[in-house]
Amino acid sequence: MAVVLLPAVLAAEAGGEKRFELDAGTVGEALRQLPVRNLLFDERGELRRLINVFVDGVDVRGGRLLDEPLAESSEVRVVGAVAGG
Amino acid sequence: MAVLLPVGTRKGLFLLRSDDRKTWDVEGPLLEGWAVYHAMVDPRDGTFHAATNNPFYGASVHRSADGGKTWERAEELGLPEDGELKLNATWHIEPGRDSELWLGGDPGVLFRSDDGGRTWQLNEALFGHPTRERWQPGAGGMCTHSIQLADGVMYVAISAAGAFRSEDGGESWTPINRNVAAEFMPDPYPEVGQCVHKLLVHPQRPDRIWQQNHCGVYRSDDRGDSWERLDGNGLPTSFGFPLALDPQDPDVAYVIPEQSQEHHYTADGRLGVYRTEDAGSSWELASSGLPQRAWVAVLREGLAYDDEGIYFGTQSGSVWTAPRGGAQWTEAARDLPPILSVEAAAA
Repeated sequence: MAVVLLPAVLAAEAGGEKRFELDAGTVGEALRQLPVRNLLFDERGELRRLINVFVDGVDVRGGRLLDEPLAESSEVRVVGAVAGG
Repeated sequence: MAVLLPVGTRKGLFLLRSDDRKTWDVEGPLLEGWAVYHAMVDPRDGTFHAATNNPFYGASVHRSADGGKTWERAEELGLPEDGELKLNATWHIEPGRDSELWLGGDPGVLFRSDDGGRTWQLNEALFGHPTRERWQPGAGGMCTHSIQLADGVMYVAISAAGAFRSEDGGESWTPINRNVAAEFMPDPYPEVGQCVHKLLVHPQRPDRIWQQNHCGVYRSDDRGDSWERLDGNGLPTSFGFPLALDPQDPDVAYVIPEQSQEHHYTADGRLGVYRTEDAGSSWELASSGLPQRAWVAVLREGLAYDDEGIYFGTQSGSVWTAPRGGAQWTEAARDLPPILSVEAAAA
């Protein structure tokens, strides 16, 4: 099971849960199972621009992003982009 | 009567409560992490609704049925996924007929909810309005910020698209911008494209509509078919954002002028509330108690009124209140985050 970790605002919107264990083959499959998926994706299903995703410490924006494969032990960390100074 | 002021800020929601309108309790921040563009209490059932926006997570709406202790976020709020437009922000929530709620947003969109704000349906007539290609966003985006229902007629105002009226419950919308200036356009009096900053209908005289516009203050006595420009005659400038009325006297209105279209702070270097008691023929300063040297801003949702008082919040985080008439102002709270909206409700 991959683990997804959420930042504070998303955790509050997910009923206070900041850690989710999910059966998912890719980053996209994992994120779309979350109860806060409509905060992560816009109405066209695109990941919002200022959301970064790290898999085992690596920023997947520079890689396959939603198609990034997950291993059983992968840790997916959702992080708001550094914005606003 | 006790009063509750939901105060939306850039950093969450604050609730100000007072039994005597002299001493205030401040609760918050609620909805931490969300910029609350507007929050209101539905007088029909006491449910709190908030138009919430976050730079990372987009535009949303939250509701609370327990006075703000817990919040529920509306699911699947957005525009058609096969279209070119995305929902950029939520701006204003207004109760409608029966149990309906209305939500205004950017880009110039309107939603209706029939289940207390849990789900929202796009108003297709406004979304597909034949004049939409002539609308353009103002500095705050293309926001549907004013929604009014009176005597079976509905009004919306959009910056910068103008004001629209519907007499069939939102099935169709007629532009009502005659004689309203859009001085930033090649044709200064177009059918649409006006930059309305706030529009209110008088609750006791539903044919009378007021608007603070990018280009002046206006009043209509025929449901928006024609407008009379009201600035000058005591107002230091024609530019400003907020507007308030008096629920018992349709000849009374309040504005807080700003220096100019380029300089968004209070006019003449003072925090000046201006009141008319003669339907806009003349205006006088009603600022006793307010700072006489101030360069602050009050946004379009930042001014509210009820039967007993008038209230506003500044971008510098102060909430000011006065008894009806605005004769004497006192500071109810200070040092809040930048204030985006103020509403008044029975506590």
